[in-house]
Amino acid sequence: MKKFEHAKFVEANGGSLNGHTDFDYTNYYQTLPSNRVELGLWLESDRMRSLDISEENLKNQQAVVSEEVRVNVLNQPYQLFEWISLWENAFTNWNNAHNGYGELAEINAATIEDVRSFFKTYYAPNNAVLTIVGDVDVNEVKKMVEKHFAGIPSQPAPKGADLSEPPQTKEKRVKQTDKLANLPALATGYHLPPQNSPDFPAMALLVQILQAGDSSRWYQRLVKEKELTLDLTGGLNYFGNEFDYTGPMIMTTRTTYKPGHTADEILREMDAVVGEITTAGVTEKELANAKVQYRSNFYSQIESSFGKAHLLSALALFRDDPAQINSLLTPFENVTAAQIKTAAAKYLVPTNRTVIDRVPEKKGGTNQ
Amino acid sequence: MKIALAIITLTLSLTPALAQQKTPPPPGPARPLNLPKITEKKLPNGLTVVLAPLPNVPKISSILTFRSATTATDRQTRPGIAQIVAIVANEGTDTRTSKQLKEELRAIGGSLSLGSDADSTTMSASSLAEFSSKLFELMSDVAQHPSFPETEVKLAQENTIQQIRAGRADPGFLVNERFQKAVFGDHPYSFVVPDEKSISALTRADLRAFVTKYYIPNTSHLIVVGDIDVDKTFAEIEKAFGSWKSGAAPADDNPSVPKRDKRQIYFVNRPGSIQSAIYIGNVSIPRRDKDYFALRTADTIYGGSFYSRLTRNIRETKGYTYSPFSNSNTRAKSGAFLAGAFVRNEVTGPTLLEIFYELDRMRVLPVSDEELSAAKEYSTGNFSVELASQFGLAGRINTVYTFDLDKSFINDFRPKIEALTTADIQKAAAKYFDTYRAAIVIVGDWEKVKDQVRPFGEVTMYDAEGNVVTK
Repeated sequence: MKKFEHAKFVEANGGSLNGHTDFDYTNYYQTLPSNRVELGLWLESDRMRSLDISEENLKNQQAVVSEEVRVNVLNQPYQLFEWISLWENAFTNWNNAHNGYGELAEINAATIEDVRSFFKTYYAPNNAVLTIVGDVDVNEVKKMVEKHFAGIPSQPAPKGADLSEPPQTKEKRVKQTDKLANLPALATGYHLPPQNSPDFPAMALLVQILQAGDSSRWYQRLVKEKELTLDLTGGLNYFGNEFDYTGPMIMTTRTTYKPGHTADEILREMDAVVGEITTAGVTEKELANAKVQYRSNFYSQIESSFGKAHLLSALALFRDDPAQINSLLTPFENVTAAQIKTAAAKYLVPTNRTVIDRVPEKKGGTNQ
Repeated sequence: MKIALAIITLTLSLTPALAQQKTPPPPGPARPLNLPKITEKKLPNGLTVVLAPLPNVPKISSILTFRSATTATDRQTRPGIAQIVAIVANEGTDTRTSKQLKEELRAIGGSLSLGSDADSTTMSASSLAEFSSKLFELMSDVAQHPSFPETEVKLAQENTIQQIRAGRADPGFLVNERFQKAVFGDHPYSFVVPDEKSISALTRADLRAFVTKYYIPNTSHLIVVGDIDVDKTFAEIEKAFGSWKSGAAPADDNPSVPKRDKRQIYFVNRPGSIQSAIYIGNVSIPRRDKDYFALRTADTIYGGSFYSRLTRNIRETKGYTYSPFSNSNTRAKSGAFLAGAFVRNEVTGPTLLEIFYELDRMRVLPVSDEELSAAKEYSTGNFSVELASQFGLAGRINTVYTFDLDKSFINDFRPKIEALTTADIQKAAAKYFDTYRAAIVIVGDWEKVKDQVRPFGEVTMYDAEGNVVTK
């Protein structure tokens, strides 16, 4: 297949395609009319079997990715600090802390040997999961998969990266200036327990209660009652959900705040809200509502074939058990108010967090 | 909810080698295409109700569109009022505080938000299907009885002003704002955000009067898609919306769109930019226009799909940009064709050259049969995917009612696309990709790129606030 022909085949057959690299995986995906499922399998098997990386193609894609970094990071106010800078500061182990988008110099330093060797190791069939969802016949598709993929040789299994992270023992505070932004912004990240910890479902619901949407406690306090910030966004996994990662994770929060206020005022209010939960707990009604919202969001996640395929892939990759999709909600439905209170006291403490205060370089912005 | 679809997850492992197939496998027999079953009804107060079952998840998704409440409504006397009303209407009703409203929504797994543009104000809402009657009750309350508490009005005014200030740091915001102004001139479609003085001048009484006058059932439609039973759902809607009082439909404000007479560069200076944000375009057609399908397909071939001419040229061949694009954004009264790219300073001039080259190539030469057939498959295939999601289908139905399209639009989509010829595409391109009179909008660092930009036309320069400045 020549360069860019994969896209041509998919679109000319009524489909769409994309792919991305996340904290713990890279994926490629396409949506096609279901009678063309074999075309998709043929294309993906061709990529996996014999990706042809030329010097020219590499140079072209280095230029394209450099523009991606410029458009999404370097030429933007705030430069995605609630991801890139927060990760650089919250984590100690380079494997977790490094700029996941990549510095321009590093992107352009990659050689064709680097790329070929990475492809050979990590794009091997024994290191991959293939998921198909849609209006297809399971037995027929199994035969097609066998036909197109069985002949692709496996490779020695790559040694997994060391993702271990030492526990954080004191609060980290970072102050940054921003050449492009007009208003100050604040980001916080709290280390989360691992997904198999009994505290994890409680933390996921605590995220709902604290910062999911405009009924949440932090939104109500910061945006509505105290009128300190313009917005409040964030969640448990900056790019995805509770299931599509495997390494250490932080719960992130980002606000743009109003000139004339300080990061300390905002942190004080965030801590006060947490304090109310660690002393008085959450009400049964509030917890029940959070569970309903959680279930509703989960259904939206799996509404499309792609949403289902993505979640199944994550469960297969990280848990080797895609059938869990049918019981994923159970641990979250079983969380008690007492567990929420305990989790808040354990994880939402200043010593477990990183704070970045990012203010416009020109004092007060251009517009005050 | 248990997933009972055909799901296959395979962990791949080594088995005996099979020969690699060199040619694409042919498609299997086409699966039946399930077009949505759409039911239209009307309430005695004039509200149009459109229902379409789509039980893919146990939820419902709904759009309530107020066609009389647009950013053009009262735009001379109170610019920005539709936008502020849309924000504050969601912050409390006569019987619910803002907080109560949000908590009741959370209890049904719900969401509810409003937004306004030059064609309508829309309320988008969803919830678990089991709570549909409660969702309708909340939607109806927000539509009929927003209370506009003084504190909420003040907060919305202040935050909107700050958000616009924050947005002026973003090249994407600036390039879009200047483009709409350049193309639509004095037409209401040129409006993007109000100025700070206009926002501050709005009073609670203004907002209440706006709702009374323009949030009326007889110029509105309610779309409901999801896990519903049509009769039961309609009964719930009758109960929730039956008491809504109709009003006098306002006269349609439809000034003509200015005609551009020359190519012109509108440069928004943003010192320190390391990229130029480029939009190039011109006035096109209203959504109802007979050329809609031809223009849409010309756009797909030009820059509206991944394997498009523009992407192949300035991304995959030249590496100038990450995400070049084009769209044939057609609305109720007019539209604008637009091609754009965000590129590093050094290739600003070469990018303009290629965008124009590809536009002119579409005008001068017919597209190939292969390109047209690919564009048709792309459009119809992805249309089906859109219809398979609740908000995708609701949004499609909403365009039918907001833009007064034929009621058969969804069913006709495939045959109308399939009937297009290469001559239709060239004709549409020749007419609407008007490079001679194009507006060229660039947000970037003038000192860094001026020599590359000047050869393309006369330049008017603006600052980030929208003031004309001297070079």
